[in-house]
Amino acid sequence: MTANAEPRQHPSEDDPRIMLHGQMGQYEQVPPYPPRTEREAEFYTLGDGEMFLNMGPQHPSTHGVLRVVLKISGEKVVDLDPVLGYLHRGVEKLCENSDYHHIISQIDPLEYVSSLFMEWAPVMSVEKLMDVQVPRRAEYIRVLTGELLRVASHALFQGWMALDLGGLTPILYSFIERDEIVEALAALTGQRMLFNYFRVGGVNGDLNHEFLSRVGDWMSRALVQHEANIGLLNENEIFVRRMRGIGRVDRDMALRMGVTGPNIRAAGVPFDVRRSHPYSVYPELEFNVPVRGANGGGDSLDRYLLRLDEVRESIRIIDQCLHEMPDGPVMARLPRLMRPRPGRAWAAVESPRGLFGTYVISDGTDQPFRFRIHDPSFVHLQLVGMLMKDNLIADTMAVMASLDPVMGGIDK
Amino acid sequence: MAMTPDGSADAVGPAATSAAGNDAGLVAASPSGVSSPIIVPNTLWSSVNPGAYLSTAPAYTHLRELEGSDLMLSDTARWGQLDVIPTKADILIDLIRMNSLWPLLSGLACCAIEMMSAATSKNDMDRWGMFPFRASPRQADVLIVAGTLTTKMAGPLVRLWEQMPEPKWVVAMGDCTCSGGRYKRSYSTIEGIDRVMPVDVYVPGCPPRPEGLIYGMMKLGQLVKERRGHWDEHRIGPNVPQDV
Repeated sequence: MTANAEPRQHPSEDDPRIMLHGQMGQYEQVPPYPPRTEREAEFYTLGDGEMFLNMGPQHPSTHGVLRVVLKISGEKVVDLDPVLGYLHRGVEKLCENSDYHHIISQIDPLEYVSSLFMEWAPVMSVEKLMDVQVPRRAEYIRVLTGELLRVASHALFQGWMALDLGGLTPILYSFIERDEIVEALAALTGQRMLFNYFRVGGVNGDLNHEFLSRVGDWMSRALVQHEANIGLLNENEIFVRRMRGIGRVDRDMALRMGVTGPNIRAAGVPFDVRRSHPYSVYPELEFNVPVRGANGGGDSLDRYLLRLDEVRESIRIIDQCLHEMPDGPVMARLPRLMRPRPGRAWAAVESPRGLFGTYVISDGTDQPFRFRIHDPSFVHLQLVGMLMKDNLIADTMAVMASLDPVMGGIDK
Repeated sequence: MAMTPDGSADAVGPAATSAAGNDAGLVAASPSGVSSPIIVPNTLWSSVNPGAYLSTAPAYTHLRELEGSDLMLSDTARWGQLDVIPTKADILIDLIRMNSLWPLLSGLACCAIEMMSAATSKNDMDRWGMFPFRASPRQADVLIVAGTLTTKMAGPLVRLWEQMPEPKWVVAMGDCTCSGGRYKRSYSTIEGIDRVMPVDVYVPGCPPRPEGLIYGMMKLGQLVKERRGHWDEHRIGPNVPQDV
């Protein structure tokens, strides 16, 4: 310690140096670090009359915890920057660290609106690795429960779509629909949302009386109820005018960006994994692949209407499954400790949002060496930035709702 | 009515005995140290069975005069003898708070769907005054944390909680928010939100049924009534990531 060391001075509020950073009229740089990419440098440079508007991560209509930085000029959106990762739970890494039975429960909450499809893809991947022949009754049960959940998911989509446009009523009806289906599935699986029902080589349990009676009860009025729910919205002039011609995804753009599911079918491309790359017992079932927007590209209204068409087809599939359900076992005979041969397998299913696939690399142990998840919502979210240029702020959420992303799948 | 004050009650009250020896303009001091009460004539309420209470009006007009006596234990001391309803505004306010818990609309993951299910037609939380999901933290009483809390979301969520006006309460919905649940082993989640904010009610389940959430909110109502909230006990926990 030197003799001339000054005693330490505590900063006081009168200290002018403290006020340097907090003066009126000076704002922090957004983002606080210098731009790291060309895109960031371009986006975070404000032009004449432009400003930033931060939306999220807590926002009632971002379909989860998504943060969107909007660059706006007046009421027009000039550019936008989605910030992801608020729901990153590390599912891929967790799956790589758990054995093949545990993967089903780890991947279940990935996309929580349609969780049976999240189980379906990894189960199919492991079945490919193990060369398992799944019993036909198990396949029929999978299709039956999956299509039920697709109806529930599309019902929720209808409610959310209206909610993001400012209509509160339809979501009350869509949740009635969803709760009935989900309670029936709860009678079968024991859970309302994260079913944990599919197994490698089959399903967890056979159909029971309560499930079948609930499904039969629901099926007796499913189409009538569907038509009634359609009547709530489709004739509404405000709803239609805010959807028509907005958020146009044409055929080329959809193909270039890798869009799948209802969004690409609404752009005029008849791509459905159930038909294009058939799996399970879908080749035996009769259903149409509805396509819309063939002339001129699909707007938000096309994407909305296409999902309603799909509900009708799903009800048709459910009807066939209930009538043609074969008898037999629901599980294949498998060793308790699964050690697939070394190799890699890709399996994809048609989830309510599009192509959901998993890619499993096995090294011969009971845990996968690599577990890769392809989620359709992630692809569809890329479109938002392209669709929103020169649209109004209020239409941002409408376009995003019509693409129907779920943040759990996007952030993994 | 039996409870109407008569002449004798007016004569024996503390106000009558004060007068001499005190300066005018000051509040008169009574032997029991109780200042003169405000007497509201009881025109609103009368007992179904007047015989259940004493027929004569009492000599005392304030509950503090009765502290420590056996009379406090009977109904007559609490209600019948007085022409005032001896309560605190706090009790009334607590009842109001308990019966109109406004949650913040902040779903994080899976449990948010069940939270919406609890708010919509089938199980209608509005029946117990829990409905108006506010989009702004400034208007909300209860933060229902529904879904996995990741390290990236922890900072914004704590900021939301700090922006809520006091008094405020937190309900941890789902296993992920209670203890980490099935994502406890993950590198990017926070194992229970009680690491970052005080929690009043835990609703376990993955996800809990909507009825479970409603039951938890009713339990929270009891806590609110008994003033057992945790919001003022501790501030931000140790694990809040900085600069998120």
